[in-house]
Amino acid sequence: MDLDFLRIVPSIPFILNGIWVTLLFVLVSAILGFLIGTILSLFKIGNIRGLKWFADAYTSIFRGTPLILQLMLIYFATPQLIGYDIPAFLAGILAFGLNSGAYISEIIRAGIQAVDKGQREAAEALAIPYKPMMKDIILPQAMKNILPALLNEFITLTKESAIVATIGFMDIMRRAQVVSANTYTAFEPLIFAGLIYYILVMGLTLLGRAVERRLRRSE
Amino acid sequence: MSNPYIKINNLHKSFGNLDVLKGISTTIDKGEVIAIIGPSGSGKSTFLRCLNLLETPTSGQVWIGSDELTAKGTDIMKVRQNVGMVFQHFHLFPHKTVLENVTYAPITVKGVEKNVAEKQAINLLKSVGLSDKANQYPNRLSGGQKQRVAIARALAMAPDVMLFDEPTSALDPEMVKEVLDVMKSLAHTGMTMAIVTHEMGFAKEVADRVLFLDGGVLVEDVPPEEFFLNPSSQRARDFLDKVL
Repeated sequence: MDLDFLRIVPSIPFILNGIWVTLLFVLVSAILGFLIGTILSLFKIGNIRGLKWFADAYTSIFRGTPLILQLMLIYFATPQLIGYDIPAFLAGILAFGLNSGAYISEIIRAGIQAVDKGQREAAEALAIPYKPMMKDIILPQAMKNILPALLNEFITLTKESAIVATIGFMDIMRRAQVVSANTYTAFEPLIFAGLIYYILVMGLTLLGRAVERRLRRSE
Repeated sequence: MSNPYIKINNLHKSFGNLDVLKGISTTIDKGEVIAIIGPSGSGKSTFLRCLNLLETPTSGQVWIGSDELTAKGTDIMKVRQNVGMVFQHFHLFPHKTVLENVTYAPITVKGVEKNVAEKQAINLLKSVGLSDKANQYPNRLSGGQKQRVAIARALAMAPDVMLFDEPTSALDPEMVKEVLDVMKSLAHTGMTMAIVTHEMGFAKEVADRVLFLDGGVLVEDVPPEEFFLNPSSQRARDFLDKVL
């Protein structure tokens, strides 16, 4: 067995620099996904048929096709269709933002609908209009259902972000592949990258648990 | 002939193919206390919920004061400001303190200033015996206390009518009395009240009139003495045999 972690030591800073690239990528994708998800969830619980239909169709398509296909379509088909040579970062956050928007819209919708129906009735019986009812009564309670699932989605996003390496974006994964090619090794750089992802995910998991504990305290 | 405050004329409500209310007509005078009694599934709660439009009647008319609730273009919000409701399962806002539960609607809906609303809320909480719980969250209260807060919350909008939907049915037996006592003293203030209840003793003692519903039909509409001592319908007699 030919195993020697010393061979990748000179490349460690190169891979470590990928942490910020990956984190920035995940952050921007998560924000985009959250914005899209919020809007879609409002469409879904609202009464306007066309918007509801749109949000459902959107969710169905983005959940029903592989993420890597969506990514490839945006990255490789955009130049073909509109002649714009789309950068890997932009293609990546678009694919991930649009995709996680579909999942997040379901998380938010389910969180709002899980709030006891009686809360809405009590608010209606008190003549509280729709907007303050949503803002002050329903959404604060829905957050308790939404936040843990949302953090879960961000954890998934962090792990899955590795597939942007396939379009040459220099994240942790891609850097590990570069080191692998340069040093004629596979095990050491990939294991090292895996360790970084694991630590990032554990960090987010702990954060999620802390948030959940905090939310439960007011019960 | 007095001019009744609430008029209900041939009220129907169906859910899909299921006719829950099959043409109910009655009136309620200002200050009257009405007990609505009947077997489960008889349409009692649906009837009550039609009075503040939590359910939209399928046909028929409901007037409260000079407002026809069932007319097209009626301002539902304006009607509801005037009709308080207390639910079986309280439905307090769990993320707000007792005080905030009571002040939220007056501040948000009527634009009452916060310190005015709070002063009023403290007085209401005093009247239901809970002023010491003002800063607690609802989950720290017993069922009976929650229901008394719910009554105070509804009263904070200064309604002319109060609807009670089985207000003691979800309570442990030892907490029923404290809630009924609050309702009793509310009745003595001249509040117009409609109460769906299984508390026959309470209905007998406090109600001015008993409405007995069965199968979506108003079978009896009589004073409690008459209802409990000498019900005219077989259905009411069968029901009373079972519950008394």
